[in-house]
Amino acid sequence: MISRSPSLIGARVTRVEDARLLTGRGRYVADLDAPGAVHVAFVRSPHAAAHVGRIDVTRALAEPGVVACLTAADLAPLARPIRAESRTRGYRATDLGALASGVVRHQGEAVAAVVAESRYVAEDAADLVGVDWEPLPAVTDPRAAAAAGPFVHADLGTNVILEREFRTGEVEPAFRAATLVVADRFRFHRHAAIAMENRACLAAWDTGRGDLTLHSTTQIPGMIRDALADILDLPGHRIRVVAPDVGGGFGMKTILYPEEVAVAAIARRLGRPVKWIGDRREDLLTSSQAWDEQVDAELAVDGVGHILGLRATVLCDVGAYSMYPWTASIEAVQVISFLPGPYRVPAYRGAVQAVATNKAPMGPYRGVGRPVSAFVVEGLLDRAARRLQLDPGEIRRRNFVRPDEAPYRSASGVVWDTATFAECLERACRIADYEGLRRQQQEARAAGRSFGIGIASYVELTGVGSAIPASPGADISTGTEGATVRVDASGTVTATFAIASQGQGHETTLAQVVAGTLGARLGDVRVVHGDTAAGPIGSGTYASRTAVIAGGAAVRAAEAVRDKALVIAAHLLEASASDLDVADGVISVRGAGDRRVTLREVARAAYAAGRRLPHGLEPGLEATRYYDPYFGTASGATHIAVVEIDRAVAAVRLHRYVIAEDCGRVINPLVVEGQTIGGLAQGVGAALLEEVVYDGGGQLLTGTLLDYLVPMATDMPPITVEHLDRPSPSTLGGFRGVGEGGTIGAPAAIANAVSDALAPLGIEITELPITPERLFQLLAVC
Amino acid sequence: MKPPKFDYHAPTTVDEAITLLSRYGDDAKLLAGGQSLMPLLNFRLARPAALIDLNRVEGLAGIREVDGQVRFGAMTRQRAIEFSPVVARRLPLLVEATKLVGHLPIRSRGTIGGSIAHADPAAEYPAVLAALDGEVVVRGPRGERVVKPADFFQTYLTTTLGRDEVLTEVRLPAMDGKAGWAFEEFSRRHGDFALVGIAAIVAGDGARCTMARLATAGAGPVPVRLRAAERILESQGLGDAAIEAAAARAAEIVEPDSDLHASAAYRKNLTRVLTERAVRRAVTRLGGR
Ligand SMILES: Cc1cc2nc3c(=O)[nH]c(=O)nc-3n(C[C@H](O)[C@H](O)[C@H](O)COP(=O)(O)OP(=O)(O)OC[C@H]3O[C@@H](n4cnc5c(N)ncnc54)[C@H](O)[C@@H]3O)c2cc1C
Repeated sequence: MISRSPSLIGARVTRVEDARLLTGRGRYVADLDAPGAVHVAFVRSPHAAAHVGRIDVTRALAEPGVVACLTAADLAPLARPIRAESRTRGYRATDLGALASGVVRHQGEAVAAVVAESRYVAEDAADLVGVDWEPLPAVTDPRAAAAAGPFVHADLGTNVILEREFRTGEVEPAFRAATLVVADRFRFHRHAAIAMENRACLAAWDTGRGDLTLHSTTQIPGMIRDALADILDLPGHRIRVVAPDVGGGFGMKTILYPEEVAVAAIARRLGRPVKWIGDRREDLLTSSQAWDEQVDAELAVDGVGHILGLRATVLCDVGAYSMYPWTASIEAVQVISFLPGPYRVPAYRGAVQAVATNKAPMGPYRGVGRPVSAFVVEGLLDRAARRLQLDPGEIRRRNFVRPDEAPYRSASGVVWDTATFAECLERACRIADYEGLRRQQQEARAAGRSFGIGIASYVELTGVGSAIPASPGADISTGTEGATVRVDASGTVTATFAIASQGQGHETTLAQVVAGTLGARLGDVRVVHGDTAAGPIGSGTYASRTAVIAGGAAVRAAEAVRDKALVIAAHLLEASASDLDVADGVISVRGAGDRRVTLREVARAAYAAGRRLPHGLEPGLEATRYYDPYFGTASGATHIAVVEIDRAVAAVRLHRYVIAEDCGRVINPLVVEGQTIGGLAQGVGAALLEEVVYDGGGQLLTGTLLDYLVPMATDMPPITVEHLDRPSPSTLGGFRGVGEGGTIGAPAAIANAVSDALAPLGIEITELPITPERLFQLLAVC
Repeated sequence: MKPPKFDYHAPTTVDEAITLLSRYGDDAKLLAGGQSLMPLLNFRLARPAALIDLNRVEGLAGIREVDGQVRFGAMTRQRAIEFSPVVARRLPLLVEATKLVGHLPIRSRGTIGGSIAHADPAAEYPAVLAALDGEVVVRGPRGERVVKPADFFQTYLTTTLGRDEVLTEVRLPAMDGKAGWAFEEFSRRHGDFALVGIAAIVAGDGARCTMARLATAGAGPVPVRLRAAERILESQGLGDAAIEAAAARAAEIVEPDSDLHASAAYRKNLTRVLTERAVRRAVTRLGGR
């Protein structure tokens, strides 16, 4: 076809949103003013499990400035419970009310909402609400809870709310035939998302029109709108959900939370705007959490390290509720879906049980399940390599799916459209000077120091289309997105999407795709997103899908607009459309650059119509297109972590970090590096610092950021990120998703580096995070 | 995370602050840098009827050298200490310790008086106060008292400061210019409270040790002077064997607790390792810098 401004796609341009986000001019929910708004403080359960008896609001209502104090009974007529359905066999849904009625199932669950003129007054009054709690025994150990009661949801008669198994090939014979079987029990502890911006929402009910507008810190405005239509029994077109600037989500904000329903229902009942700005304590108590698996896994290999079989039993503690829309399957099932990794695994059995406990509910978090599967399978490969005296790089090389085998159907049934795994490994080794690192390690060991190198390779499925629901069995559409590209009469372009941004830079990258495809100047393209009242229908941003699916829709819509612009330009220039080039907002006749019109002139013609348009051509210059990549595309990387252990104090120091990744055609290397390094930081947290701890009674012990430790700049090593830049053959534009990868590889690479450092002592890391205390205990028995 | 209601007073003299404290009896809190108090209020763990803000009290901040002592007004910011030439010259141990207190914005607000009055067992300043055997000056309705660290720190977050008393000054003896010093600590992340910290000062000439001072942070409910370990150095010198023996003794003396981040056994281990490292580093600085 005709050349555009292709150089824009792949350009290292700085993010257009940073001008406002980095100078404090972003507008988050808390920054939004609504005349007459009232503020909510929730009365939250101090118990992990309790019957809720009488709730006495009289003292709270008497406080000056208190507007209302509502309980489940007040909201029940206005809102149905949230219920995440799934067709998965044996799955059990759980009802979650906007406010708990009868029973609370985790510490922090809300039983009443105090509405007041300010948050201060609301909190003071919330202290005065009297609740007759009748504590129940807390369910906190998922292994015990899987076997017997008490039950978190008494009506279910079990705590196992989901079981799933994948089986391929002849597993038992593979293990019998093996030269070596390595096995371990892996433990990946609970993690919290810790977005910089806590959850918040502002609901306004227009009594005149009967319309609801909800501003929320969400990643999924489209899905929230659809769900609220059912829950609030309102027509969808009377609900507008807006995600304004949102300060981080990481998957945690891809859930419909009870506070969103409560605030919407209260706004309708009071006829006043209602604002809830969650604080850090509420966030740590009630936002969805991640991981929390125990995995018993075994790997069977032959004498030269070829994988013969893999089997694993996974126990996943999914907390108190199965959240909408993903259900409790999201984290649990991903672990067994991705355990085979980028490897040829001829025989595989992966089984998972998702067990309810009296803890905050589990949700998707950057990487979803795959950081756990990578930790397990990469750890087993290293164990096998050590036993066979193979280099960890070599055992991976021997097992990677080869490029010529793609498309390759993995042992769990996921299809890899390409297989650049070995190339990622070679690149990472080259950048890291792997041989040099091994020499450094020998010198360090000779001097009595513990220096370790850890490799982790992974592959993930990104930009998942309609063939595979992003959450197995859930009744939601996650495979499509739309884009509307409109050139106005001034010649500037507005591209509208249903995705939402939590800081990923979509306003830059999607503008690059649109401008590059259309031939417009980058500065002439403005991206609008996160508002269900604007533009096409879609669900939001999650699962590394936006670059692929919204990017594909952007390519299509921009192409349609470009093609029409060329037809109009051909008419104006009295040339043939096929002889025209478009770049930088100018359309010119190829080989005769002085015969040219600007996009602005073309747009004017498109709206002025009359004789300036070819006969019969519809006026206007805009297009809406949808895209479904159907299967999705493989995105992979190799991470190399270099660590040194200070054995005396049991501390891990990250010395250096290298990532070679293949996210297909790179739209903007700066943004990819930002995403990768940010993801890596969260992986460093998972590997070394971050752990949600509940005591045996279900009390959260990590209820502040003094106790829940997130990584800081000073915890990050020097990092090199390289891009393979191999366009995906199976997506429009050739893009693959890259939002989560950094988090997937890091825990495995760091764990392997620590095991490598301590190999002379026979220490294998089986539990993350590797806290100083855990390392001290491991070293103490040596 | 909003504080409950409280009265607010901003006195301009210490006497006025003392009068206000007396008026509220048990129910007022002095506000210094707010870096410990404000979180307590926001979590509603402290619910005082009144805050008495010391930030407008005249003459409560400043660093002076008097009679071989460096005297710090209670409201002297940690950041001012970090960059004071007097402190750099006379109390290099305190500079090293100050850099380990939280992060820059916290030190910009946080005060030496607040840190010592708050008496967090893992804080650096109480350990330095103990190691240098300094004094705190306390004023109340019945006048002024000068208190030694051993008589000041009682247990976690608890001191002998009366409800109606204000800590007005911290006095630290200037260090011997020939002494070596080090503050070693281990924390989960840069700027976090120490799991264990060790303040060390030694004087002597390598083989001979004329003076050793060792004190802990985080290894028990109050800062502990490791006198038995000091005596090992003072009697056996600063050679490897003596340092190791002193470090081992230090670990025996302390009685740390277990918490979310560290077991008692791990803290004992840290006490040994950090004592050894602190003394070794102090030795490298012997004889003037
Ligand atoms: C994220 C973070 C990290 C931190 N890390 C560290 C660390 O690593 N090491 C460390 O030592 N500290 C740390 N701190 C605490 C910090 O150093 C505080 O500044 C210090 O503990 C208290 O000093 P302040 O001036 O802020 O006192 P405030 O918070 O104002 O007061 C603390 C207490 O002392 C009382 N008080 C204050 N001044 C006086 C006075 N003159 N007389 C009598 N009573 C008084 C108050 O009433 C209150 O009870 C950290 C704080 C934060 C927020």
